[in-house]
Amino acid sequence: MPPAVPAVVRRRRRATGAFLTDTVMIGPALVLVALFVLIPIGIAVYLSFTDWDGFTIPPSLVGMRNYELLVQDPEVVRAAAYTTVIAVVGTLVCNALGLGIALMLNRNTWVNTVMRVLVFAPYVVGPIILGFLWASILGTNGAVNSVLTASGAERMPFLADPVWAMVTTPLVIIWASFGVNVILYLAGLQTLDASLLEAAKIDGAGPWVSFWRVKLPVLAPTVTLNVVLAAIGLLRVYEIVLALTAGGPAGTTQTAVFNILTTSFSRSQLGYGAAQSVVLMLVIIVVTVVLTQLRRRSEEAVAA
Amino acid sequence: MMITRQGGSVGRIGRVTGLLLLVVLMAAPLYLLVANAFKTERDILESPFGLPADGFTVDNVAAAATSTDFNVLAAYGTTALLVIVVNVLSILATGPAAYAIARGAGRGHRFVLLVMLAGLFIPSQTIVIPVIYVLKTVGLMGTVPGLVLFQTALTIPTTLFLFSAYVQSIPRELDEAARIDGASRLGTFWRVIFPLMRPAVATAVVLNAVGVWSDFVNPRIILGPGSGLYTVTTGVFAAVSKYSTDYALVYSNMLLAVVPVIVFYVLLQKRIIGGLTSGAVKG
Repeated sequence: MPPAVPAVVRRRRRATGAFLTDTVMIGPALVLVALFVLIPIGIAVYLSFTDWDGFTIPPSLVGMRNYELLVQDPEVVRAAAYTTVIAVVGTLVCNALGLGIALMLNRNTWVNTVMRVLVFAPYVVGPIILGFLWASILGTNGAVNSVLTASGAERMPFLADPVWAMVTTPLVIIWASFGVNVILYLAGLQTLDASLLEAAKIDGAGPWVSFWRVKLPVLAPTVTLNVVLAAIGLLRVYEIVLALTAGGPAGTTQTAVFNILTTSFSRSQLGYGAAQSVVLMLVIIVVTVVLTQLRRRSEEAVAA
Repeated sequence: MMITRQGGSVGRIGRVTGLLLLVVLMAAPLYLLVANAFKTERDILESPFGLPADGFTVDNVAAAATSTDFNVLAAYGTTALLVIVVNVLSILATGPAAYAIARGAGRGHRFVLLVMLAGLFIPSQTIVIPVIYVLKTVGLMGTVPGLVLFQTALTIPTTLFLFSAYVQSIPRELDEAARIDGASRLGTFWRVIFPLMRPAVATAVVLNAVGVWSDFVNPRIILGPGSGLYTVTTGVFAAVSKYSTDYALVYSNMLLAVVPVIVFYVLLQKRIIGGLTSGAVKG
């Protein structure tokens, strides 16, 4: 027969036991995230003050040089400006298209189901294939130009001319991205209470008024989610640009991530690349926080 | 009356036109992807939008499927392995963690949640450089285990939030019953709770499978061209960049790379769209 254990000791033992099982259960996930996500953030900051070439460990410290360099590097500045334009225009267009098309597809008919599958397909195909596909369509000898020359018209330099390419690229990116927004807005519309719309109708609200006064306010949290997701996604756009234009012509369509990866791996300046990564990370965090706060204010205004 | 009916039909025409335009805009590129893979190079250049009626050929697809460099079919193996291993590891690591966090209320639990929340917002492209530093230090750079560990770590935050939200909807009485029957906490999770989490697990698997399948930057940088190992994305990138002027090869390689995804997508579209939606909403 085991000796009697005082209740206090028993409780403490159970607490230690619970702590141990919790550690065993949470440990692996926490270690993996710490090792490959959290600690790397710190290492990125450290590397941004070094001249790491990807091989020499430890790299030598260079102080603020990478940061001084990047604010006057025309390539970095241009990529940052271009990425900003893509993110701002893309977020607005993807959300306008997403919401507009979701409103059109909201009823459950087979046509709408097919449309949903079609609109979301680019997300599943993936950016590398989409980039190559659009390059085959809009390239100098691509599908569209074949049709143009066959009908006696001039070729269009969609991807060959710097100005054209800078317009074509965001359009392709929007084509590839807005499907996600359609699906998310559709999910948001599902939460819309039909009796609210009915009540608005009885009060004499037309479709326009019921959209602005009933649907949009209810959708406020969905709008926040879509705006934040689109903005973050567009700020780090890379693969589709790589496959579509390879950053060209003459580097005009390089985005921020494009520049980070070229600097780091084609030129082996990983310290400089890390400094650019740190800046991008900060931008993404600030954009997320600011957008969420701004939207929270308007969500509250609506609720009031 | 007349006015409203007219307005209604104008609205209807507008809506139908809009939908038709949308269908053409979304479907035409995908149609080109499939149709041109079965045409001769001359047909692709002369009538890119036509059906492959005259020059229907499977030669290009066959050539791409049996090509010896950057064979996309061979890359299926690597990608499938990554998708399976990452999913299994992710569930093994995240399941118990999500359970412990959902049922716990201590300061430690909140700290772990905060850590995971941070992981949710850090884009992987911005930490790939320091991750190389970590992998070099532990000797896993350029290896499949190194890539698998990083990709698994990237799946954990979203999966954890999905799982712990789901666990919270499972009544605590089940835990109590299992404990009275003498099951350990870990045993309770795997034998009682986990079988009830099927919808959340399905969502996570869909989300993480699509993520790993379409991942390009990490395999390209961590495995590197030197390893000779290609995933579908890095393989098709290598193949198409090399033969970018040969449209017959470009289209057939692209087709080979998307066939499995398209098949899965058409079969499981409800699950995939639903899974990705709830992943985005929860995340």
